Amino acid sequence: MIWKLSLTGIKNRFKDYTVLFSGLVVANMIFYMFLTIAINPAFIKNDIQTSTSYVQFTFGFGIVLLVIISMIYLVYANSFLLSMRKHDYGMYMMLGAKSSKIGVLIFLETLITGILATSAGIILGFGLTTVVAKLLIDKLGLTVTHFSPILPNAVLWTLIFFTLMFLFGALKNARKLVRTPVISLLKDEQKPAEMSHKTGLRSVEAIAGLVLLAIGYYTLSLPAAMILIIIPVALVTIVAGSYFTFNSFFSALIGFLLKRKDFSYRGIRVFTLGQLKFRIHDYTKILTIISLLFALALGAITVGLNFSTLKDQATASTYYDTTIVSSSSAVQEAKKQLHIKHEQTYHYKENKKYLYFKRAEFSTNPVKNNEFYVKNDTPAYKTVNLKIADLAKQGTTANNALNSMLPAKHHKPIRLVSQQKWAGLKGDKQFVTLLTVKNFQQDYPILLKIEKQQLEESKNYANVYQSSKAGAYQLVMNFSSGFEFMGFFLGFAFLTMLASTLMFKILTGAASDKIRYQMLFEMGTRMSVLRNSIKNEIGILFILPGILGVIDVLFGLQMFRVFLPAPYHNLWIPFTIFIILYVLYYLITVKLYEKIVLKSDTVLNKGE
Amino acid sequence: MTEILRVEQVTKTYGKRGEKQYQALKGINFTVNSGEYVAIMGASGSGKTTLLNILSTLDKPTSGHVFINHEDNSTLNANQLADFRSKQIGFIFQDFNLLENLTNRENIALPLSLRGISTKRIDPLIDRIAGRLGIEQILAKYPAEVSGGQKQRVAAARALVHEPAILLADEPTGALDSKSARELLDTMEDLNQNDGITTLMVTHDPFAASFASRILFIKDGKIGKQMLKNELSRQEFYHLLIDHLDTDE
Ligand SMILES: Nc1ncnc2c1ncn2[C@@H]1O[C@H](COP(=O)(O)OP(=O)(O)OP(=O)(O)O)[C@@H](O)[C@H]1O
Ligand SMILES: [Mg+2]
Repeated sequence: MIWKLSLTGIKNRFKDYTVLFSGLVVANMIFYMFLTIAINPAFIKNDIQTSTSYVQFTFGFGIVLLVIISMIYLVYANSFLLSMRKHDYGMYMMLGAKSSKIGVLIFLETLITGILATSAGIILGFGLTTVVAKLLIDKLGLTVTHFSPILPNAVLWTLIFFTLMFLFGALKNARKLVRTPVISLLKDEQKPAEMSHKTGLRSVEAIAGLVLLAIGYYTLSLPAAMILIIIPVALVTIVAGSYFTFNSFFSALIGFLLKRKDFSYRGIRVFTLGQLKFRIHDYTKILTIISLLFALALGAITVGLNFSTLKDQATASTYYDTTIVSSSSAVQEAKKQLHIKHEQTYHYKENKKYLYFKRAEFSTNPVKNNEFYVKNDTPAYKTVNLKIADLAKQGTTANNALNSMLPAKHHKPIRLVSQQKWAGLKGDKQFVTLLTVKNFQQDYPILLKIEKQQLEESKNYANVYQSSKAGAYQLVMNFSSGFEFMGFFLGFAFLTMLASTLMFKILTGAASDKIRYQMLFEMGTRMSVLRNSIKNEIGILFILPGILGVIDVLFGLQMFRVFLPAPYHNLWIPFTIFIILYVLYYLITVKLYEKIVLKSDTVLNKGE
Repeated sequence: MTEILRVEQVTKTYGKRGEKQYQALKGINFTVNSGEYVAIMGASGSGKTTLLNILSTLDKPTSGHVFINHEDNSTLNANQLADFRSKQIGFIFQDFNLLENLTNRENIALPLSLRGISTKRIDPLIDRIAGRLGIEQILAKYPAEVSGGQKQRVAAARALVHEPAILLADEPTGALDSKSARELLDTMEDLNQNDGITTLMVTHDPFAASFASRILFIKDGKIGKQMLKNELSRQEFYHLLIDHLDTDE
């Protein structure tokens, strides 16, 4: 009997259940998706060619963050489930059902919901992982080849993690339901507004919050060498600062607006502000967490994307796009496919002791070289002509630079001679062609092919290949693609989970808000006015942590100056992606909230 | 005497066509004049709340018409109905009258700000009605910080601050102890007699009803009898009412 009642209950709340269930499925999919890259040995080994300990640390860090956010998310999803069902179960208890039996019911309901969602999530996760991976690989031009969407280990760990989480959730729900007096289960909690009249203390807290944030942000800008101080200090001050700011600064602000009667006494603004005042207090913890996670998520994407700037870095150090020393048809054919911008060839003869170059060729076409220097703390390069006089002097920059462009195992001394003398010399006749192409990114695969071919033809070419621009480019690209990929995955995972956490938190309170909206409607508030109030209220709850999170990221990126040349480069890309996703969640939350709050069995539907 | 409310042939049937239907109101007719204090009495399930919801435009009658200030409710669209309520009607209900996340002052301000009254005029209007109801001291508090009786006075202040054409009350004393109930009823009577507030109260409590100048009895969805207080004192009216209810059972 009681089973049937329980099932009917689910049927009645089917819409809310769908929201919960799809939220859980999405969380699962994301968790699985991240796990598939994080613990994918083939992918890490082949697509992220960098020191493995660093990568493992980064992914490990990512997994820890993901576990934390998933846990927070599940706690809120779980309390949403309880808030949804407690009225029904309270009713059965009032009708005489044993509380132990009700406890078992909610336990099973939570666990079964969880396990079903996990299974669905993993299966859909295969699809999502495939699609997202392909999308990212195509769109970003990443060279990710060893990525497979189905990974047994990831399936297993996702299952274990979520089953455990739901087991705890189920126990918690059961305990809570059994221990709460029936009467408070039946009455939707009409929690009175938090009424602290201690404005003095409040303002101290508000100022402390802002000061702590300022200290935290300042710390982030300290020189990177102080990293051991920066991280703990920034962590503590920013967390505490965000908490205090939400706890008092924003409520002080709302209190101030409420007192400005010419502002608050318009339409139902006073109600919207009252709701927020009440909410922000109740939401302090979650808003703090969300602002921080928001920062981490946004930071992950920004930093991930930023690794692509390393590609430019890699190509900036070498002036010529490639060096050709072979006249084989394979090389010369490939060369024809290039879009050459400039080409210069130097001829030389090699005997046992020396390399003889024609001096005239250097004066008509000086060899260019990119020299490294430091400009405003960041590495930079300038192009110079190698001094002809230095070319033959061993140990000079010019001599070294030229040597690195020549294929030879042991560097022989260089001699510059006149055209006539050169003609009379004996020796092996050779040449070196230095060229630049119109678009390096476009031609780089051909360049690489030409260089590999020459390497195959002669081992001596290894010397030239060492400073190959195309080779360096490929290396950095592999390395940065992996990070971009991870940054995106992590960022998406975080954002969707934290936005859904906020969504569930807001929806959990919706049931008790219903009566307030009903009252306003009865007093003669137009439906459109109520809708606007909801939009504003939820909008502010979304925007506040968003703003704080963005500020956190803007300051936090400074920490990456050390290994990223321009951490603020192309900042609009991650921000745009984030804003779109975030706005989407906001709109969904508003719609769902309206459905719960503005729907009434007898009255409101007739008002439409 | 000017007519404030006219109810013509109002019926209400619950349940969709084809499903099981229940006729809660079966042709209600009555009028209320300006300055009257009318109580509607009836047993549980007789249709009191149904009627009040229709009068307050929260629900639509299945057939028939309701005129408030000679305006026919049924011709209005959703927005006009909302505006109509915010202008013409003041409510007091049994509970859930106040928004707990607003101070009492802010609660009372709502009907005024809703109607777009200039922000400067709002506080003086609140202070005036608060003085009238003796709640000046608790305006800065939240509803949860005051007693049930005080809450209902705040609700009354909110219902009246915008000077509606009619005050509608559904069991306003239902959740109060007898002392607070008495105080609220005295206040409502005072407002009616000295400020001319037209009042329509729904109740099943004879004591509450005895404060009215006229009582309509609703039974099985129809208005049966009506009783007039005329020159009787409240006590005499109350005893008459009790006798009437006894013989009626
Ligand atoms: N939404 C509804 N759907 C179907 N029937 C309803 C609905 N609301 C009320 N009824 C029925 O209409 C009748 C009148 O209900 P109403 O709530 O008006 O009674 P009441 O006089 O206010 O009773 P009480 O004194 O208990 O509040 C009752 O029989 C009730 O069951
Ligand atoms: Mg009723």
